[in-house]
Parts: sequence; structure tokens; C-alpha cells
Amino acid sequence: MSVASDLIDRPREEGRLRLAEWQLALPLSLAFAALFLAPLLLLGATSFFNDEKITQPGFASWTKFFGDPFNYKVILDTLLLGLKTVCATVVIGYPVALVYIDLPARLQKVLIFIIVMPMLLSVVVRTFAWIVVLGREGVVNQLLLWLGVISEPLRLLQTELGLVISLTQIEMPLMLLPLISVMSRLDPNLRDASAALGASRWRTLFTVIVPLSMPGLVAGCLLVFASSTTAFISQTVIGGVRLIYLPLVIWQQSLVVYNWPLAAVASLSLVVSVLSVIAALSYLGRRSSRHLHG
Amino acid sequence: MTVNRRTLLAGVTALGGTSLLPGIAHAKGSVVATTYPGTWEDAYRTVIAPMLKKKDDIDLELAPLFAMDQIGKAKAARGAPPFDVFVLDPGPRIVGIEAGLFDKFDGKKLSNFSKLPAGFTDEYGVQVSAQVVGIAYNPKKVPAPKGWGDLLKDPWVSRLGITGFQTTFGTSALIELSKLFGGSLTNVDPALVELKKVLPKIAAVGLPAAMPGLFQQGQCDVMYTNTQTVATLKGKGIDVEFVKPESGAVAFYTTMHIAKGTGELANSYKYLDVVVSKDAQGALTKPPYNFIPVNKDVELPPELPMKSLDEMTKYVQLDWSKINPLRASWIEKFNKEMAK
Repeated sequence: MSVASDLIDRPREEGRLRLAEWQLALPLSLAFAALFLAPLLLLGATSFFNDEKITQPGFASWTKFFGDPFNYKVILDTLLLGLKTVCATVVIGYPVALVYIDLPARLQKVLIFIIVMPMLLSVVVRTFAWIVVLGREGVVNQLLLWLGVISEPLRLLQTELGLVISLTQIEMPLMLLPLISVMSRLDPNLRDASAALGASRWRTLFTVIVPLSMPGLVAGCLLVFASSTTAFISQTVIGGVRLIYLPLVIWQQSLVVYNWPLAAVASLSLVVSVLSVIAALSYLGRRSSRHLHG
Repeated sequence: MTVNRRTLLAGVTALGGTSLLPGIAHAKGSVVATTYPGTWEDAYRTVIAPMLKKKDDIDLELAPLFAMDQIGKAKAARGAPPFDVFVLDPGPRIVGIEAGLFDKFDGKKLSNFSKLPAGFTDEYGVQVSAQVVGIAYNPKKVPAPKGWGDLLKDPWVSRLGITGFQTTFGTSALIELSKLFGGSLTNVDPALVELKKVLPKIAAVGLPAAMPGLFQQGQCDVMYTNTQTVATLKGKGIDVEFVKPESGAVAFYTTMHIAKGTGELANSYKYLDVVVSKDAQGALTKPPYNFIPVNKDVELPPELPMKSLDEMTKYVQLDWSKINPLRASWIEKFNKEMAK
């Protein structure tokens, strides 16, 4: 007998079961509180100290960080990097998801394997592989030189373009997995119905498929955005240190100059700015799904 | 054969049991020591760990961390050191001393004490290797530069890879460059001004750890670095040569320190004794490790820019107690000047 039918047969026990569910979630909640919330509070507390030795409480670290216009540019660049990566993964990933839903089951498995395969490699390895691809003597430049398209090697490493290209590949599984899981649940009859009612393929795509796949798209965007804005290794190895993003500032302040209060301010700025964009994205997602259903 | 709960449990217990065996065999204990990632890690795992095991029956556990990361982790641990022995460059060493992270060190406890030059141990630790900072270049791509100033001129500047003030070699090189343009030990602004003028031409501005990789991939063909990195790249078959700049190469010593509050004090001394021993230093001096030895019984390899350790006293030595307080602001300046 399934749990669902248990509930129907024994409605009086519902309250007790709910308590049990709440208890089941307790270990994870406690682990979150201890391992995530407590350090976050500690981070918040650390940011309200003026000196590196963490002895004088005050707002100096906040005023120093936000008194410097350079840091606003760093925050903005970090968020823009995330948005550019999200756009690139959507533009490339969405057609792949569309192809996926039309494939026979066996080929779907192959495609899923191809999508997940890069995740089996560490980010560090994938990042260093991009040095070999984008470098001055890398695959791309060698090919273009050989074809005669260019006479001098292009500068691809240590540019934002190179960084967005590599992040797009590195973060692609995070976009595709939620997108595919939502899209493969779409009822194929809806497309036929749309066609039967005279809608073109494009109209069906934009008025039926895209709105229905919105939960997956939004989830993918959130994951890619959060992951690419905090991708310290890729940002510093592919982008170099002329492209300055918040993770680099946090690393420098915490592990190079040991100014933990300032590092805490930079960390909280990253958390807050990334969370605000994520909140905005999920609000848009909810609004579009309300629009669809109501 | 069918696998039921009983056989599975028996199997798992047996597996778990075997994992306890090495623990029983290693009754003499262990020591956790930091090492720099890369060549240091390879060398210490391959050379030092077996020697320590053979001589004193001590297991060496290595934690690969850059100097700054070690200080950060030790400070964060607040009195419960995550490792027993540090390996540090002069700058982070001073930060460690100021933060009271080291146990008082007594060099006389090392049986190899007499084999070390005078002054190689103090109350904080022992010097275990020397490093020389200069210029590395690819002889197949560019002619040999003569001094720090050449880095800013053609044809070198357009093939130049630079790093900031995060590392000892980066800070040393930028200070030396600054001195050429009227700067000093405590004034690096001239170097940043000159670098900014040629910034669009510079081939790469990267994190220190990324530089050997960028050089290997031909992204840059000239960089400031230390003799050991050059030797390691050479060992991989990469075209690279070391140049001692006209104004002098910068020399410094890498030191090891016992963490305050360690539970493995005796084993830590035994470890350090093996590190500075003739056998270990001799083995570390050879390719592919190419360390500069500190034991008087070990001869310096011929490819080094100096014939003896005494000669190193003529090299440029920087006062890190004056540099450290300024480093945070330098790093910030470097960020701002170099940012796109």
C-alpha cells in the first residue's frame, strides 16, 4: 500500500504524520543552521570591525569598501559576467533541449551522457583545458592561422570574451539538466494541438513551449548565474587578474593581506548582490508562470 | 554465490578492519607538514617522506598550501594548529611571528645543526632552501633581456607576463623594477606608473600559480620568477632560460617553523632534521626538483647563478618587515592600475 493511500485511509493520523515529516527535516535544518547560518552570522559580525586584528568594532570596513567607486565597478562587472554567461548558456542550451525532446529514447540517453560528462571532470581541469584551447598557441589560434583568417594570433585568453566562452561550456550542464527535466515532461499533444489550430512552428515555440518550460529555464538561469559569478578559478585563470571580480577581491583580502573585516564586507556584497539578481529572476519566473496559469 | 546481509556485513567489517592495520603498524606516529604545491610537494612526497619513514618510522602527511594560505588557515584555527610544521617565505614568516603562530625553536636539537651555515636557525625556525628571483625567458622567441628595465621595452614587453604583490617573487621583482625608476623598498609607485604606460602591450597579467602554465602554453615568453620554477619548466622540456638582472638578482631563504600548540613536537624536530640532512638536501638539489641546498656538505649545482651560498649575501636582500605593512595597499593599487 502506498503512502498516499495510507493518508486517505487514515485521515486522523494526518496531524501526527505532519509532525513526523517536520522531525525528519530536523537533522538537515540543524546542519544548515550550524554549517551555513552560523558562519554567515560570524561573517556579518566580522565585517563590523575596523582593524585587521578584529579588535575595534565599527563601520570602517563598510565605509572603506563602499567609499571606493572602484568596488562598485567590481560588483557591477561580477553581475554582468553572470548575466552574459546566462544569456550565452540560454542561447546555446535551449535549442539543445528542444532537440532532446524530439529524440528517440536511446539517443536521449546518449545526449544526457554527453551533457553530464564534463561534470565528471573537475572544474580545475576543465579550466586549464581552456588555456590550451584559447591560448596564443592554442587550438583556435592555430586553426585560424592555418586557414589564413588571421595573420597574428588573436588575444582570447585574459579577455572577457574568452572567459564568457569558457564559462558557457563549464556551466552548460547546470542550464541543461533542469531545462531538460521540465521540457521532457511537456505533453507532446500540446504542440500538435497548437499546430492543428493553425499556429506556425515559431508561434508554437514562443506561445506554448517557452512559457511551459519557464520553471526549468529559470532554475537553469539561477544555477548558472550563481555558479559563474562565484567561479574564482575560471575567473582568475582564464580571465587573468586584469578582469577583477568579487571572488578575487575576497581571496586577496582574506588570504593575501589578512584583512578579514574587509573580506567579510566583500563576501556579504557578493552574497547580497547575487541573491538580489536571483530573487529578481525567480520573481520573473513566478510571474510568467502565474500569467500562464491564471 | 548469493550476497545476503550477513556476508555483506562480514565483508564490510573485514574491509574496515584492514584499514586499521596500517595504524597499528605505524606506532611511532606522524607529522603533518605544509608544502608548496607543485615541485615542493612532489619532492617532499618522493624524497623526504620515505627518508623520514626509514630513519625514524614517522609518517609524513603533506598539506600543499601557499605560504599566505598557511598563515590564513593557522590564524583561523586559533590555537589548534591544523598542521605541525610550516614552510614559509620571508614575508609570511614575519606575519606568522607577529601573530605568535610558531613554537620557540632550538636549532641545537637538530643533529645536523653543525652542517648549517651560521645564522641559518633562529628562535623561530630554520632555513631549509634558498631562492633566487630573476627573469625567465624563452630563448627561441626573444633575445636574452639584460635587466628589469628591458621588461618594459620591445621586443620583451609584448611577450611579458606579470603578477602582482601576492608572492615573494612578484613583490621582489616589482620593487627592483621600481628602483630603476626612482622608487625604493617602500615606494613601488614608479613601477606601477611605468607598467601602466605599456599595459596594452603586456601579454598576460595573471595569478602567480597560473604563470608557469601561461609560459608553457606560449601565452607569454618573459616573466619574473625564481630559479626553481625555471629549472622545473626546463625539466618538462620547455625552452626557458634564467637571467640574473644587471642590478642583481633578489635572494631569499625559505624557512620552516614548528606550529605553536603542536602535539608532535619531537616528531617535528625529527622531520626538520631529515629535511636539512645531507642525503635529503643532496637529493632535492638534483633534477627534477632543483632546490638550492643549505647543508654545507652539499655542493651547489653548476647551472645556478652563484657558486656558493656565501655569494648570495652579495645578492639583493629585501627587508620584509618594512614591506609587509605596505603590501595590502600595494595589492589594492595593483588591482586598480591594472584593471580593464
